[in-house]
Amino acid sequence: MRRAWILALALSCGPALAHKPSDSYLALRTGGAVIEGQWDIALRDLEHAIGLDADGDGTITWGELRSRHAEIAAYALARLALSADGRPCRLAAGEQLVDQHSDGAYSVLRFSAHCGAPAQRTLTIGYSLFADLDPTHRGLVRVESAAGTAAGVLGPDRPRLEVPLATASRLRQFLDYGREGVWHIWIGVDHVLFLVSLLLPAVLVYSGRGWAPAPRFAAVFWDVLKVVTAFTVAHSITLSLAALAVLELPSRLVESVIALSVVLAALNNLKPLVLARRWAVAFGFGLVHGFGFASVLADLGLPREALLISLVGFNLGVEAGQLAIVCLFLPAAYLARRSWTYRRLVFTGGSAAIALIAAVWMVERIFDLKLL
Amino acid sequence: MNFPDLPKLLLGALLCLTALQGAAAPRLPADEREVLERLPIKPGDPVAAELRGLRAAAAAVPPDPAAAVALARRYFELAMSLGDPRYVGYADAALQPWNGAERAPAGILVLRALLRQYRHDFDGALADLASALEIDPRDGDAHAWRAAIFMVRADYPAAARECAALASLGDELLATACSAYVAATTGQARSGYARLIDALARAPGAGQRLWILTRLAEIAWRLGDTAAAERHFRAALALEVSDNFLLEQRRSREVVALLGDWTQSDTLLLRLALAERDLGLPGAQRLGQALGERFAAAAARGERQHLAEEARYQLELRGDAKAALAAAAENWKSQREPRDALVLLQAAQAARDPAAAAPALAWLERSGFEHQGMRRLAAGMR
Repeated sequence: MRRAWILALALSCGPALAHKPSDSYLALRTGGAVIEGQWDIALRDLEHAIGLDADGDGTITWGELRSRHAEIAAYALARLALSADGRPCRLAAGEQLVDQHSDGAYSVLRFSAHCGAPAQRTLTIGYSLFADLDPTHRGLVRVESAAGTAAGVLGPDRPRLEVPLATASRLRQFLDYGREGVWHIWIGVDHVLFLVSLLLPAVLVYSGRGWAPAPRFAAVFWDVLKVVTAFTVAHSITLSLAALAVLELPSRLVESVIALSVVLAALNNLKPLVLARRWAVAFGFGLVHGFGFASVLADLGLPREALLISLVGFNLGVEAGQLAIVCLFLPAAYLARRSWTYRRLVFTGGSAAIALIAAVWMVERIFDLKLL
Repeated sequence: MNFPDLPKLLLGALLCLTALQGAAAPRLPADEREVLERLPIKPGDPVAAELRGLRAAAAAVPPDPAAAVALARRYFELAMSLGDPRYVGYADAALQPWNGAERAPAGILVLRALLRQYRHDFDGALADLASALEIDPRDGDAHAWRAAIFMVRADYPAAARECAALASLGDELLATACSAYVAATTGQARSGYARLIDALARAPGAGQRLWILTRLAEIAWRLGDTAAAERHFRAALALEVSDNFLLEQRRSREVVALLGDWTQSDTLLLRLALAERDLGLPGAQRLGQALGERFAAAAARGERQHLAEEARYQLELRGDAKAALAAAAENWKSQREPRDALVLLQAAQAARDPAAAAPALAWLERSGFEHQGMRRLAAGMR
């Protein structure tokens, strides 16, 4: 605004909120030994620094800008210093494009920084663009790395930024994924119901005419151990294969078969077909459940540099969650196994209810419907 | 966490995010002749030639304070006249040789204070002005700027002391204008008005007349004498635009006509957007979006100097009373001019949070500021 600032009291008109001051946008992506960079620098600033308006007509055309690409890259990259864990990186200019920010056109300089080896701990950015020409210039820096996205504002009064790259500790990552595993078996009702369907008859024995309470805990314990181990081994195999992208199945098929497995396991309690070899059923369907866990893990995202540790953490979390369910269920079921409540209500009624619910799921998943 | 912090943080975070997203799609233009940017000054313009001369003089070794001040002053004028803060940065660069220096010449200190107050670093500006006055106690510029900064901070006794200092220096016109302005803000609008009318008759320069006319119009407007306000603004209009007045008087069409070419300055961009919105013009949304982007960009730099404008933008364009109140309350911490009080009152009313308006109400009580609209608003909130 044209202010009579000559008369110093002009200040009372309020400050001119104006056009933006000079900013550049520097984005860095770290991964391997080469860091990819993109640097958006305002044409206005480049004009002031090195002059772009070759024909002096007050406009900067694409042709004028393009003819100065080599100078722009040399000027800018000489004012940026990157180092990975203290090793200086060599900067190499790439393609140059054009973009629009809120205050006008920017030259987009893509570059790569060759640091010899991947930065493990710290990426250091030394920034001196326009420090001599405009002390109010700022570089808005964003660094993407395995540790996440870091942002900072650099400028003449703050020319250095150290970005820590160390990812969360291995133990931390392991525990985080372990907790996710526990959580997902607890909220994964279909997995829980499958397991419960297999466990319900463990405290009983089938005599041909009907179910009777199991006489000894040892036999019950071994039976449960076999079932749980078989389920665990099976889903660990497929979870790993799917998470490592060795084997993939369509999720609708997987989810439908998981529902079917619950139906069959529950029906087997009402009209037993498989008795001694329930562990085999657990193993067979466990393979399918593993694909189900894998889809959860895929949603969580596996950090590339800590793939195995996260996978093992998640899997052990699932086992721990499962073990907790068994530990809660088994003693209670064993103590209650002689009662009418357990044999009629929990065992028969529960199995029927599970079969019914799972059947609805199965229909939903096969036909992609929403019934419940 | 006290009340404005959380919304402020959330708003800040949101703005940062949108700003850092930035423009998403770098492209390769197909046409060599495509115009990417228009420069505010052509290399062939007389201003450009003048700047080249000033830059050459300022580049002397060892650095010459007079040349540096001349260059910085010219850049600062350009920043004001073009509404482009890049020139403030260039002015800063001209003064850089004296940054961190044990003793800087008074002229350098005053100019650095000017740049600092522009960035709302009022403490820094006052420190520089104090140092300048130590070197040269008779520096009228330094006293005038101190008065202006004390006015922004609503420290009226301190401002009045600076006006008295100006009078003792013999700068009678500036001293009169100064004390009349303080009086007009502290419950003596009519006497301040009369003294400014008197000063107007004696003011030689267009810049001084413009300043006095604008103050006269503001006081008349405040007192509800819209006819006199318009007369003063019309007189000032030959020199300066008086957009805010027209906007409040619901004369949006004239605002659009006045400001159509001034979209590079955001204060004006805001007013233009409000006027176009009132008229239902299609450009209003685009202008609002542009403003939002500029506020986001400022937040990404870690600067939020224009909180009063941001509050008004949130209040009147976005209709987000909570965000407006957060910005207005934050603004009040450093800026305490009548317009800052007004936006705080309006935002608090819109957000149905009268408690948040307390500082503005207290200011209104203490200063005795006469403004019909603001007094009505305040009466409704007590």
